[in-house]
Parts: sequence; C-alpha cells; structure tokens
Amino acid sequence: MIEVLLVEDDAPTRWRLQDALGATEEFAVTAAATVMEARARLSEAAPRVLLTDLQLPDGHGLDLIRETRQRHPETEIMVISILGDEESVIAAIRQGATGYLLKDAFPTDIAATVRDLVAGHSPISASIARFIVRRTQAQSDAVPAPQGLNTARLTPREIDILWGIAKGFSYADIAGHLGLSRQTVPGHIKNIYRKLEVNTRGEAVFEALQQGLIRL
Amino acid sequence: MAPLGAPRLALRLLLYLALQALVVVGCLGLAALPTPEPPPRWQLTEARLEPPGAAVSLPHHHGSRFTMADPPRYGLAFDRPPGLPEEPWSVLLPRFTNGVAVAVNGVEILDSRRNPAANRPDRSSPEIAVIPPSLLREGRNELTVRLFVWGPLTGFLDRIHVGPDAVLRPAYDQRVLLFVTLPVVLAAWQSILAVILAMMWLMRRHEPEYGALAASMAIGVMQTFISAPSGQSLYAGLNAVLIASAPLESAFGVLFFVLFLGLRLPRIAVLLFLPGLIITATGLFGGPGPVRTAYLMLGPATVAFCLVLIAVLVALAFLQRRDAISLVLGSAVTVVLFFCVHDILSILDIAPDRRMFFSRLSYSAMVIAIGIGLTWRFARALNQVDSFAGRMVTLVREAEDKLRATLALDEERARAMALAGERTRLMRDLHDGLGGQLVSIVALSERQRAEPIGEAARAALKDLRLVIDAMDDIGGDLMLALGAWRERIAAQLRAHGIALDWRVLPPQGLPVHPELRPGHVIQIIRLLDEAVTNAVKHAGAGTITVEIETVAAADGDRGRISVQDDGRGFDAKAGSAAPPLAGRGLANMRRRAERCGAQLAIVSGAEGTRVTLDLPGRFADLEAPGD
Repeated sequence: MIEVLLVEDDAPTRWRLQDALGATEEFAVTAAATVMEARARLSEAAPRVLLTDLQLPDGHGLDLIRETRQRHPETEIMVISILGDEESVIAAIRQGATGYLLKDAFPTDIAATVRDLVAGHSPISASIARFIVRRTQAQSDAVPAPQGLNTARLTPREIDILWGIAKGFSYADIAGHLGLSRQTVPGHIKNIYRKLEVNTRGEAVFEALQQGLIRL
Repeated sequence: MAPLGAPRLALRLLLYLALQALVVVGCLGLAALPTPEPPPRWQLTEARLEPPGAAVSLPHHHGSRFTMADPPRYGLAFDRPPGLPEEPWSVLLPRFTNGVAVAVNGVEILDSRRNPAANRPDRSSPEIAVIPPSLLREGRNELTVRLFVWGPLTGFLDRIHVGPDAVLRPAYDQRVLLFVTLPVVLAAWQSILAVILAMMWLMRRHEPEYGALAASMAIGVMQTFISAPSGQSLYAGLNAVLIASAPLESAFGVLFFVLFLGLRLPRIAVLLFLPGLIITATGLFGGPGPVRTAYLMLGPATVAFCLVLIAVLVALAFLQRRDAISLVLGSAVTVVLFFCVHDILSILDIAPDRRMFFSRLSYSAMVIAIGIGLTWRFARALNQVDSFAGRMVTLVREAEDKLRATLALDEERARAMALAGERTRLMRDLHDGLGGQLVSIVALSERQRAEPIGEAARAALKDLRLVIDAMDDIGGDLMLALGAWRERIAAQLRAHGIALDWRVLPPQGLPVHPELRPGHVIQIIRLLDEAVTNAVKHAGAGTITVEIETVAAADGDRGRISVQDDGRGFDAKAGSAAPPLAGRGLANMRRRAERCGAQLAIVSGAEGTRVTLDLPGRFADLEAPGD
C-alpha cells in the first residue's frame, strides 16, 4: 500500500481525488484540508507521496512542500494544479516537488500518474518543458531570466530532452533521436527537477519574492 | 614611421645633398647670367674722380661709407656725333650706392635722392634721366656725377650709359621690372599670405606656426614699402628700424619652420630674436645712422644663420619623412641661401662685382615653396576631412541601423514581456477564480453522475488552458503549441478509449513563423480540436492519427498538419439526417483556416475522414479578434 497524504481545501475536488486513488487498492489516502492539519499528519508519519494544492486557507502549499522535502527526503511530492500552468508548477518544482497533477484529470490518469511517480517517473508537461527551455535560452542570451529560474546546471542532453517534450515528441521518439534507452528518459526528467530545486530556505524565499510567486 | 637603418639614412642624405648641389649649380648659372645692359657703344668707363683728382675706370668702388657733406665727383665726357637725327638722349645709371646727382654740362638733371625707391641700397634700382635738348651740344659734352654715400655700404658706381633714349630705355625697363616691380609683386603676394595666415592663426590659436609666418611675411611687406629718406626726419629712426628688420623676419621664419615641421622648439630659440631686437633698440634710441651700422654688423649674419638653420631643419625633416614638401622647401632654402651668401660676399667686398643684390628676389622662391607647402597641407587636411566625413556618415548610418535594430529588438522583448506579464496575471485570476470553480463543477458532476455537465466543464477548462497556452511566447515555433495540444487531446482520447497515433514526419517539425501570433495559434488549435472532437463524437473511431510534416512548395517550405480517423466517414452517411460535418462545425473550421491564410482540405470516405491543414508561407494579420 502506498501511503498518500492529500492536502486540498476544496471538498469536491478532495473527494474526487480521494475516489480516484481509492478505486484501486494500492493507495492508502489520508486527506487534509489545511496546512495545520497536514503538518499534524506529517508529524505522525511520513507518507510515501504528498499531494498538495497551493492555495490553502491557512497558508501556502509551497511551505508544506519545502518542509516535507527537508524533513522527509524520501517522500515524493506532487503539486495539484488547476491549469497545469508554469507559475504554480515551476514554483512547486523549485521547492522540491517532482510532478504535478491536474485537478480535472480523469480518475484513471490520476492513479496512473501517482503510480508512475512512485516508480520514479516524474511527469512533465509540454508547456512546463517549454517554459524551462525558453528560460535556458534567455540565460544564454545573457538576459537575466525574469523568473529567476536557474537553468545553468542543466546539461545539453537534458535541454534536448526538454525540447523534445515541449514539441510533443514521445519519450520513445526522444530516446531514439538522442540515442538513449527509452527507460532512462523519466530518470533524466527527475534529474532536471532536482537541478531546478532551490537549495536553501533563504534563497527560496528571496527568489519566490522576486518572482512574485508569494505575496507577503 | 619605420626606424631606418643607418646605411639607408646615409644614402638618403647623400641623395638630398646631391639634389641641393644641383640647385646650387643652377643658381650659379642664374647669377652668371648678364644683367640687362644697353649696347656697349653707349657706355662710359673712363672717369676722373675728384677728390683725389685721379683717373678711374667704372665700375668703381669708393671706399667711403659717408660722403654727404662733400661727395666725390666723377667727371666724364661723351660725344654726340653730329648729323644724328633729332631724338632725345638719356643718361642711364644701372647701379650705384647710395645716391647720385647727375649734371650735364654743369646743369643738374637728376638727383636720385628724391626717388625713395632708388635710395634703398638693398635694391639694385637703376636711374635714367632724359637730357634736355637745350643742354646737349654736338660734339663733346661733360657729365658730372656726384656720389652720395650714407652707409651702411661703401660707395659704388657702375658704368654709365649715355645715348639715344630709345636705345637705353629697354635695358632700364628690364632692370626696373627685375629689381623694382618684381619685389613689389612679391610683397603684394606676401601681404596676401600675411593676411590669410593671420586669419588662420586667429581662428586656430593652437597652431602658432601660422602666426609666426604671418609675422614674418608682414615684416617683409613693410620692408618693401617703407621708403628710405636720405635726410633726417621724425620717423627716420623708425623707418630705418623697419628696413633693417630682416633678422626679425628670418627669426620668425625659423620659428615657422620648426612648428610647421612639428619639431620641438628649444628654449634657446628665443636667442634668434636677439639680433633683430638689438637693431630695433639701436634704431629707436640712436637714429638711422647707428641702426645702419648695427644692421651691417648683425643683419646679414643673422639672416644667413637663420637660413642655414632652416636648411638643416628641412633636411632633417626630409630624412625622417621622405615627403615631397620637405624636398621643395629644402631646395627653395638652398636657393635663398646661395644668393644670401652671394650678396654678403658682395657687401663685404670679398667678391667685388657689379654689386647686384638678389637675396630679396630669390626669397620669392621660398615664398612660392611655402605657398605650395601650405596649400598642400590644406588640401590634404580637406581630403582628410572628406574621408572622415564619409567615414562618419557610414558610421552614423551603421549606428542608426544598429540602434533601430536594437529598438526593434527591445520593442519585441518589451512586447513579449508585457504579454508574459499579462498572461501571468490572467492565469492567476483564472486559477483562483474560474479555474477552481470549473474543477469543482467537474468534481460535483462526477459525484452526481451528471456526465454532460462534467463534460462541458471539462471542455471549458480545456479551452481555458488553450487560451493561456497560446498566449505564451513560443517564438513562432508552432511545434511548441502542438506539444501542449498533444497532451490535452491525449487525455481526452484516453478517456474515450481511442488511441492517438502522433507522427512527426521527417524532416522534423514545422517551419518557424516569426509572424505567428497567439491569435493564429488559437485558431489553428481550435480547428484541430474540432477535427478531433468530430472524430471522437461522430466517427466512432478507434485510432486518431495526427501527422505533422513540412512539404516543399514553390516559394519555400510549408507546414502541413493532418488529423485522420479510422471511423465512419460522414459522406458515407449521405442522405442520413444532418451529417455533422456538413453543419456548423465544418463552416467553423473553414473560417478559422481562412483567417490564418491556411488551406483546409477534408476528405471523407468509408475508411474514415482526413482533415488536412496546409499552413501558409506567411500567416495573415488577424484583423478581427479571434473567437
């Protein structure tokens, strides 16, 4: 059984996600509606997977992601996004999330995504990949990246993979073009996520402020 | 300037000296040329000098420097043969220093002291006087010449000619042209140069060489036009000072050459002005007499020294720069130096000759050379200005182009940033508001088993994502928009159990269209969405194939996107009620393709439907807002 902590304040959505994961017997889902509740659950036991919304009534999901990342490095973190937009997803990735889940995703897709994540396959969308590679371009043009996203540590191969994803190529296509094994592509993506993570709390807050991602 | 090896330098010096030697030879030839003289038949050479009452032959050097009170008298005689036609006779004195009074048969017919030009001992002015017919006798006539000397030179009387005026006059005129008119012409030239150079100096104070040359020229002009009165007057001293200003003139000349050739001016150069100033002071406080003495002692030596200095400077400049101007100037200086030495030898009676002075005349060579030098420099400066101006025009044009490009780039960047900012704001609003509500609707509809409502809410969310996605700056690469679209339809098709076959045919991708705008992207994606939705809803397809390829057209590469299903074609159902694609959906797709300037082809048959979208070479501007 995979223990999942689901943090979502909107009740219908929470039920929906809970149902989607509960449909199969592989997930044990604990739900929380607030940051406080989530912290209480986290202090009891570290879940295998944390699914969290960003806008919560008593705080921000990003704080939760960061704390979990520091305290429970083994926990896989996914952000629940309404639109899968870069603003929320990239912010979450920078705090340590390694994937995202759309709130309106079909139930089978939801379960599959979480399953893949546990198996080490971080999902990435074309628009997120596009966002990251366009930042690498902006940085190589010596223009300060407006989002403060540090893409300097990405290798040319990783950037090539991101380009392929952004243009809608399948993992198999990308692996074929780059002379990789298809199975290694998800691992590369997880590496990319890790490299985009900011390392210290101070840096994170500063950069988040810079980006206007959090409002104090 | 490349450093020169000593042998090359020596060779060049040798060449330079050889050329100057040639110039000297030329000058020797010029000096040897006879000065204009009437036929020897009319010349008188025998004279009786009183005092001391001895017979002398002309030309005669008289050792005295001052004979104003009791001038020596030269008694001569000439015959006027009888039977000659009645024509006027004249007395011609080609050269004398300093003044003469001529009497024929005891009646004075000429006193050169009244002619200021003739009083200048430095000019070889001739004198001519017509003998009044009443004085002229047939046979022997007496001619008395009193020689006035007032320094600084000793007295001198050249051969005297007496004869028909028509025979003597041409020689006189030639001499006047050579020794009186030419110096005036030269002076006029110098005065123009002086004015131009003074103006130049006033406008360009940082180039003092023009000021120095202007001063030198102005002094030269004054020397020419100031007359030398033989008597004492209020201004006699001042006049004498100005006439004796050649040392100052040459000192200014040295100054000019040093500055003109761009050499460093040593402090000791001030000493060059010392002789000139001493002469001036002598003239101002001592009067004409002492100034002549002072001039004789200092003047020619200073002038000669300055000339030698200039010659050395110009030679050095030539050795360094190898330019034609230094060569021309150097040759001119050699000419002047040659005649200066010639005149000095004459003054000092070392080489007694006919006491003709050519220094002033030869100075014209230098003035011409200086004129050439200045004009050459001026022309070169103008050429430089021209080429500089041309270069500036090019540079300014380049800078303008660059600036324009930068501005265009900045504008483009600003536009992109504004778009990104707008998108972020919109996304946040949609995320917090509409997005959350739509998700709630989806969730609720699922719980309540209200599938159509959920479907509608999901479609709305999909469209919301499309609009936000289209606003992202994709740099004209439609592939980036298709990548996100693929994810959306993949999820949609998965839910319906339809397989998606996504094929990007080689060569990879689509052409980049810089003119691609979010409006175009929305039109194209909605068109493709419509094609997919039709296939899902009406065709009963098992697989939907999307093909992306670039095809070569006559005017460049064109992108092509096609959506194909393996379901029932709508034409196959012709006759059945309201085929879906014939309705509003098809018209919508055509309208969207038209707006972008793309070609839409729909082929439907028993094997399914194929929608082919041929992208334009250039996307049309979207006038009307997209729907």
